[in-house]
Amino acid sequence: MRVIVTGMGVVSPIGIGTDQFWSAAVKGISGIKKITSFDASNLRSRIAGEVAGFDPATFLSPKYIEQTDRFTQLALLAADLALEDAGGLGAYAPQRVAISIGSGMGGFATFESSALRKFRNQPVPPFTVPRTMANSAAAWIAIKHRLKGVNLTCSTACSSGANAIGVALDLLRSGRADAVIAGGAEACVLPLTINGFEILHALTTSSNDDPARASRPFAKGRDGFVMAEGAGILILEREEQATRRGAKTYAQLAGYGQACDASHIVMPDMEGQVAAMRGAIDDAGMNADSIDHINAHATSTPLGDIVETRAIKNLFGDRARHIAVNATKSMIGHTVGASAAIGSIATIMALHTGTIHPTINLDEADPECDLDYTANHAQQKHPRTGLCNAFGFGGNNASILFTTLNEGRD
Amino acid sequence: MDTAEIESKVIQFIATKVENLDTSTITRSSKFEELGLDSMDTIQLLFDAEDTFGINFDSEEAKGFTSVGDIISYIENHQAQASS
Repeated sequence: MRVIVTGMGVVSPIGIGTDQFWSAAVKGISGIKKITSFDASNLRSRIAGEVAGFDPATFLSPKYIEQTDRFTQLALLAADLALEDAGGLGAYAPQRVAISIGSGMGGFATFESSALRKFRNQPVPPFTVPRTMANSAAAWIAIKHRLKGVNLTCSTACSSGANAIGVALDLLRSGRADAVIAGGAEACVLPLTINGFEILHALTTSSNDDPARASRPFAKGRDGFVMAEGAGILILEREEQATRRGAKTYAQLAGYGQACDASHIVMPDMEGQVAAMRGAIDDAGMNADSIDHINAHATSTPLGDIVETRAIKNLFGDRARHIAVNATKSMIGHTVGASAAIGSIATIMALHTGTIHPTINLDEADPECDLDYTANHAQQKHPRTGLCNAFGFGGNNASILFTTLNEGRD
Repeated sequence: MDTAEIESKVIQFIATKVENLDTSTITRSSKFEELGLDSMDTIQLLFDAEDTFGINFDSEEAKGFTSVGDIISYIENHQAQASS
């Protein structure tokens, strides 16, 4: 039994919709700019990947807007786009369509603004709790499309989107659902959240005057990630049923690996990363020699990119240098719980089009980062298999494996 | 504000909060339920009304509101607060 991707929707700092996103990604366009959604002058990191031109009023009624946080609104748009791309899921009973969404922070925009009101002794808006709760995006997608199947939310920090897609694979394999709307959404370009990551020295502070160059995974002198927002949604179905309804087919979702470091709450650990990638490959019944492409977690932190490089070398040995690695975050920044969902779409597009998008801002690599990162220019590599990595706080490592539709077919 | 003015302003305000309804049918006696507003919608409506009319509803009293007229009467009875 094979699970395939039949629709995609993305809302990102470099474009809304897969065509716009992919076209910008292949060209290597940065979506990082000075923060516009609030006055960031008191922050040390004053740049972000914001979704420009996103207006919820173009697709949501005033009631939906009032009752939803921005992360839910981004998720709703990505889900609409994915469902439209998939030609709708009307072929399935509503009870058989599941939703599995990842978000690291949930409705934190609502939390921050309501907390501010409370501390100023102003009345707290009635939808504070329903807008903030992490499962509100999954719930609102269900409400909007009247989908009554399994409804789950993974909140595992930066790997949330990857786990949500992995859980979707399990739901389809176990027969708990016939189709799954799966992905991630995040909207935490916010003063408190950014300050919180700053305190951990996780964000870049050296490039406020040169935003497009700020996110530079694997590059010498990188000094942290750039906060970003966005959403990525996949429509997943079992191949037999998808074919029967005449669905579009992009790629196979072949495997999911998950491993916890069980060592440190925020520091990355190579062994856990290796275990997650190996887990995804084993889950697909494949071997490490068959991996052509890796969409790396690669956030542009000094330590993280080195540990991931080591993990890839540890697992793939001498072959590691022949694998086309890239970092979507070099262009869009770190969308936290949405990052692996958007990274998955980049991986699927690489399999679907044959093109590996570049890792931008990689003029000189860190000597400890010595793989083929597809520096600065897209490459035609026609990969047949691609891993998408996601490593989150909590020592939470996830890796998902996509293949072309023909890969592994008897 | 006199009663007629309050009534007209509250009805205008309610009209911006309802969906899929002919807003010209809203009157003082319209029940929130008839306007398609559920209990959460009503709580949100009262929250927004506080900002719009510069008034603070007593939360115990507001719990019992069921119609447009309840809001109008409250504002009428608390004019001093609203205008202060």
